[in-house]
Amino acid sequence: MPIANFGTQSDDSKICVVMVGLPARGKSLIAGKAMRYLGWVGIPARVFNVGSYRRFSTPQPQAGFFDPHNEEGERMRRAAAEAAMSDMLQWFNTGKGVVAILDATNSTKDRRRWIYEKCTEAGIEALFVESICDDEDLIMTNIKEVKTTSPDYKGQDPEVAALDFRNRIRNYEKVYETIDDDEKSYTYVKLINVGSTVIINQIKDYLSSRLVYYIQNIHIKPRSIWLSRHGESEFNLTGRIGGDSNISERGEAYARALPELMRKSGIPDNTKIVIWTSTLRRTIQSARHLKAETGYETLEWKALDELDSGVCDGLTYEQIAEKYPEDFAARDEDKYNYRYRGGESYRDVVIRLEPIIMELERSENVIIVTHQAVLRCIYAYFMNVPQEQSPWMEVPLHTLIKLTPRAYGTEEQRFKADIPAVSTWRGKGTSAKHQEFPAEGKKEDTETKN
Amino acid sequence: MDTLLTAEIVANSPRFRRKSSIFVDAIHDLPEKADLAPAQLYSTESGRLFHSGRIVIITVGLPARGKTHISVALARYLRWLGVKTRIFHLGDYRRATIPFGEDMPDDYFYVNATAKSVLLRQKIVRKCREDIYHFLNHENGQIAIYDAVNPLASGRRSLAKEFAKHDIETLFIESWCDDERIIEENVRRVKISSPDYVSWKSEDAVKHYLNRIYSRIPQFQTMEEKDLNYIKMINAGERLIVNNRSFGYLSNRIVFYLLNLHIKSRRTYFARAGVSLDADSYKADASLSEQGEDYAKKMTARLLAHREEEKQAMIERGETGYESRPLKVWTSTRRRTVETAKYFHENGYKIRQRSQLSQLHPGVCEKMSEDRIREEFGDEVAKHELDPYHHRYPRAESYHDLAVRLEPIILELEREQTDLLIIAHESVLRVLYGYLMACNAADIPFLEFPRDEIIEIVPESYQNEAQRIHIPDLPEEIIPASPEDLKIPVPPSGVVSPTQGLGSPEGQATPQSGHRTPSGIRTPRERERISQQHVEDVV
Repeated sequence: MPIANFGTQSDDSKICVVMVGLPARGKSLIAGKAMRYLGWVGIPARVFNVGSYRRFSTPQPQAGFFDPHNEEGERMRRAAAEAAMSDMLQWFNTGKGVVAILDATNSTKDRRRWIYEKCTEAGIEALFVESICDDEDLIMTNIKEVKTTSPDYKGQDPEVAALDFRNRIRNYEKVYETIDDDEKSYTYVKLINVGSTVIINQIKDYLSSRLVYYIQNIHIKPRSIWLSRHGESEFNLTGRIGGDSNISERGEAYARALPELMRKSGIPDNTKIVIWTSTLRRTIQSARHLKAETGYETLEWKALDELDSGVCDGLTYEQIAEKYPEDFAARDEDKYNYRYRGGESYRDVVIRLEPIIMELERSENVIIVTHQAVLRCIYAYFMNVPQEQSPWMEVPLHTLIKLTPRAYGTEEQRFKADIPAVSTWRGKGTSAKHQEFPAEGKKEDTETKN
Repeated sequence: MDTLLTAEIVANSPRFRRKSSIFVDAIHDLPEKADLAPAQLYSTESGRLFHSGRIVIITVGLPARGKTHISVALARYLRWLGVKTRIFHLGDYRRATIPFGEDMPDDYFYVNATAKSVLLRQKIVRKCREDIYHFLNHENGQIAIYDAVNPLASGRRSLAKEFAKHDIETLFIESWCDDERIIEENVRRVKISSPDYVSWKSEDAVKHYLNRIYSRIPQFQTMEEKDLNYIKMINAGERLIVNNRSFGYLSNRIVFYLLNLHIKSRRTYFARAGVSLDADSYKADASLSEQGEDYAKKMTARLLAHREEEKQAMIERGETGYESRPLKVWTSTRRRTVETAKYFHENGYKIRQRSQLSQLHPGVCEKMSEDRIREEFGDEVAKHELDPYHHRYPRAESYHDLAVRLEPIILELEREQTDLLIIAHESVLRVLYGYLMACNAADIPFLEFPRDEIIEIVPESYQNEAQRIHIPDLPEEIIPASPEDLKIPVPPSGVVSPTQGLGSPEGQATPQSGHRTPSGIRTPRERERISQQHVEDVV
């Protein structure tokens, strides 16, 4: 018998997040991050960048293209906005989309009204997010960032690019209208100077409030996040999982090498770094020398503790396969959702990590020394790794990962300490043994990717 | 005994109670046990979470702007998250200090008050502040909510400075209103129910009350202090202005919560789903049985009749506003709950299915008899009995898991502006009831919702009240914690199941095994009302 056919079944309203702001105000950064965050918590989201539509016709335009009096430029930008809008509506129509992010300057009231009407017609809520900034230093930092990474300036002289970009901003400034009381019936968020003042207007549903909560936590100051597993532990040596063992001799060697490895990874002058560890011995021990040598502040987080393997805590994979064969198989089948008896699943870990992610967004430079499963979840958040892949990712011991958020993606570098350690990685559907990660999947040292 | 409250305050504060029953909102009780809160994700030795340090939340706003409501709601949510929170209503301290029957001096709130009034003011504030320090410094408190008018910028700055000296952060929350309707509604709801206004016409009483406030507190400065952390709520949440100097995780979380909070009064009803055809199976997701259909019909009729009676009573009292209280229905996506809402649908009510409202997942113990569970999972049963709230059976959800999963529902529950009926499995009702009534996590698995009662939660600005509406003429066998419920939590050994429902027609407290029964259980239909004394109370 079919389920009763009354009552709405969809839980979430459909939302279009409309970015508003002059260039170099961190709009793309906010848009990209919001998309990653939503994906990480399991809400389908997609960014529609109007600039990339415009680039089809004019890959590398001069500043004059953005002059409001340039009719040809105006016409083409309008066409790009319409193309983005139509793709977005199509995406919603497939039924899979929940949050779309329209990334463009949307700098006039006319344009915003057009978007609002289009969305309302389609039963989508428009949430305007305006980023306002009058801190010149911050804008300059952003311009430098954009000029080196934007596809518009690929292969151009950086100085010329910067100058052109400033001119482009001036053209936008001529017509820019901030969101004001004429638009008070809209749902909007105004972020002034990186969130030091935030005005939140007419939030109409829970999902919007949650998005606003997230956006409030992020900032656009440049920074890096370093991730490391603890040094090899005594449990690692015997292949046992969980527990609260000490680090091994080689683990201690890694702990001693960590300060130098950090320096090698590149720390800008006068950078304050905070060390985060779990409350388990092996992470605290691994960060000990770094703390002593640098004097960095250290925070221990309960939420960074390793995935709780319940009854399997302290067992090897072989013992688990023997004692709980069904569990062992069930875990391989859906590792993300599999919950150890009396323990946690990756999904559970993501839920308990949400406060950590929020705090991480609010913070600047942080090194996190934690555990394999937790690190996979944090890494998946920054690098946008899909749920079905993240629990299988290789995160080797004695390797420092440096993540640097950029406007167009997160840059990753890996630094190996050259101190041998056991592998704690095991492939899907393989025997109950730790094994080497297959060579073709291996990252080169200090490889950079976008 | 708590050292915080002096005997004097206890004696003079009629609303202060040490221990409530589970039928009365426990938001003002001071938790004695150190258990985890319902949705707490982890615990720390200091008892403080999220590396957030200690914060005093200071309310700002004229009377009748919903400050107490905001304080209480916030405390409820923070405690639910596991943050040790207590509210300090300055009004309680004033009542305790100014002898009973005496009014406070007329110039109490004046900027240029007489020396005598200033001294009195300082005495009251000092006492309250000392208690806040004690809570934060010696009782592992993390958030103190200081509920007062705080009308002047200078006063707010010195408060911030004073707390900073003790290494305590401050966060001001202002409730600012220029919509007269919201203010009048607030006055009507919480301020003029006192004997002073008995024979008054409602609108005259409102006018009198407001005039009194404005003459007593002639000066009010809205927050513009850029150097302080503040959240300004405009017109009950229409707009929020956040001035973020140094917000931590918790402060941002508070903004998130406030984005969903409103100060309108509305009711929440809880009803069980009807009995289904394949009651033992979770996976089957069966349709309602004939008895289930019958229940759905009677439950619908009873609730609609109850609402009609209330409407008539309001009309007789000359009150308005009943037409602005439409009813919405939420169900889970499981067939039984959706079908139980059928007659509401037929009567034109809006039904919304919410997947998060699905019952506690029973895991591998599904369809197993209690005996078999004991036999096969003896050690799990033992663990369960030690901590029924947090323990999970193999592949099952614990109540704690359920609470965490229900958080979006909790926030949407706060967001909802119309009356709301939730039809769900008993396990879900337990957790939602636990939030609204600030139950201790350990008590939640033992709350009972017999099928012949609809629970009605009535919010008052100071606390919530639960009432039970009896549904007559239901067959006995479907009333108690019904056979379809898996024995999770497994009742302690020696208890004959099913246990008799709390709301059994005789109105008796359950004869459930004594060591499990939370202290202070009241008979179900007895209604505890704590008198509101807001009139003398300009603040």
